[in-house]
Amino acid sequence: MIKNALLALTALSLLAGAAEARTWEEIRRSGTIRIATEGAFPPFNILKGKELTGFEVDLANELAKQMGVKVQWVTQPFDNLLIGLNQDRYDFVIASHGITPERAKAVSFSKPHYCTGGAIVSKPGGPKTAADLAGKTVAVQVGTTYLENVRKVSGVGDVKTFPKDTDAQAALLAGRTDAWVGDKFTGLDLVKAQKGKLVQGELLFNERIAMAVKKGNTSLLKELNAALDQALSSGTYVKVSGKYFSQDIRCR
Amino acid sequence: MTAPKIPTRPPPGGANLLLWLMGAVAAFLLLFFAITLILRQMPDPIGPRADLFVEGARMTLQLTVVSGVIGLLIGVLVGIARTSGAWLVRAPAGFFVWLVRGTPLLVQILFVYNALPPILQAVGLNVQLNEFWSAVIALAFNVGAYNAEVVRAGILAIPRGQSEAARSLGLSGGQTMNTVVLPQALRIVVPPLVNNLVALLKDSSLASTIALLELTLAGSRVSSETFQPIPTLTTVAAVYLALTTVMTLFTDQLEKRVKIATR
Repeated sequence: MIKNALLALTALSLLAGAAEARTWEEIRRSGTIRIATEGAFPPFNILKGKELTGFEVDLANELAKQMGVKVQWVTQPFDNLLIGLNQDRYDFVIASHGITPERAKAVSFSKPHYCTGGAIVSKPGGPKTAADLAGKTVAVQVGTTYLENVRKVSGVGDVKTFPKDTDAQAALLAGRTDAWVGDKFTGLDLVKAQKGKLVQGELLFNERIAMAVKKGNTSLLKELNAALDQALSSGTYVKVSGKYFSQDIRCR
Repeated sequence: MTAPKIPTRPPPGGANLLLWLMGAVAAFLLLFFAITLILRQMPDPIGPRADLFVEGARMTLQLTVVSGVIGLLIGVLVGIARTSGAWLVRAPAGFFVWLVRGTPLLVQILFVYNALPPILQAVGLNVQLNEFWSAVIALAFNVGAYNAEVVRAGILAIPRGQSEAARSLGLSGGQTMNTVVLPQALRIVVPPLVNNLVALLKDSSLASTIALLELTLAGSRVSSETFQPIPTLTTVAAVYLALTTVMTLFTDQLEKRVKIATR
């Protein structure tokens, strides 16, 4: 009976997911696109006081400019972003989502807007390679690809999941964990900011990062991909990327 | 794993109480067994991750029991101190209740986890508080402050004539408290203390913010992995409900026994 009830609930959740997302035509007519990000993932998306900035924020603003629509930003906890997308709370998500098969089942991904990897960061003398992680405690953010990939490392000790990346980093700095696994660019930023207190180890895995739209929202996906292509070829992308990383971080 | 709420002064019939305690332990073991079995039968996304939910539920109960017992001790001590005639005893207790009851539990948990270790280090104490004990400290002090007010109300509810009579019979202040006032107050305070305990079990969900893998964090991990919030959150809510139901089943029994003992 309980099984039936749960099946009914699952069906209900599928039903809830079947509500219509706004097509590109509808967005264009309304004149404003709603974009969601996390705002706690420097240098990609970070809230500085009330102002939302970062590479992905600037890039999405440029894309919207090319598409001829105004932007309304929404910030949400990372593990809520794709769930909210499926409930039509916003039109697309740009929050450094690595493309994984599980996620691709839930949402539709655009072309990748940058390529990166999951890197190990620790205090000097701490673990630097996947083999070093054996028996060690690792901090990661909940709902990320880092969690999945750290779990795959054989012999890894405890994996602690924090609601935000910044909380996971704080746990490492406080000595609560032996390492933090996160984005390699974020890691570089963190290492630079902490001046000698932390070092970056090797890459645990590589990944392609893309924007997500609700499953089946093909018209918006097409428009986003076209805008990204244009930014990549026109030099807009190089300009934004150079501002944050002094290099071009597009996928090659 | 034991059910908390052992009254400070066991009512007559210690064997009865032991039986009750054993019953509670057995009931929770049975509950966990049942939860494991049922959740494993569930379709994706619950079934394959049943053990994660059970592990989370176990942590939630553990958190509730440990901080519930410590919180009860704090509550009784601070509650009695609040009714003390001496200003020097009353004031710190009043300050504690004011501070803890006036700030959000979430802030207290984050404070104990993130701010307390560096503060302790600054005064030369090198304590490393892990997630579990950070949560226990915050929860115990929080529920302790609420318990203190319950205990104070219970003590104040006993007519003055009772303690006056006891004193005139030659009992000391401490004896009056222990043998006359507290046993009567116990009957009054048990229901609101149980109320606080049930609230504590649910409040323990806030410990998910400091990466303690309890029921709520287990749920949010599954939800963010599968993008299916409806079945996940329903399961989490149902498990909480099962935990509080079994808990109140036994605290109701306790209430009845306390009543008979002091009738």
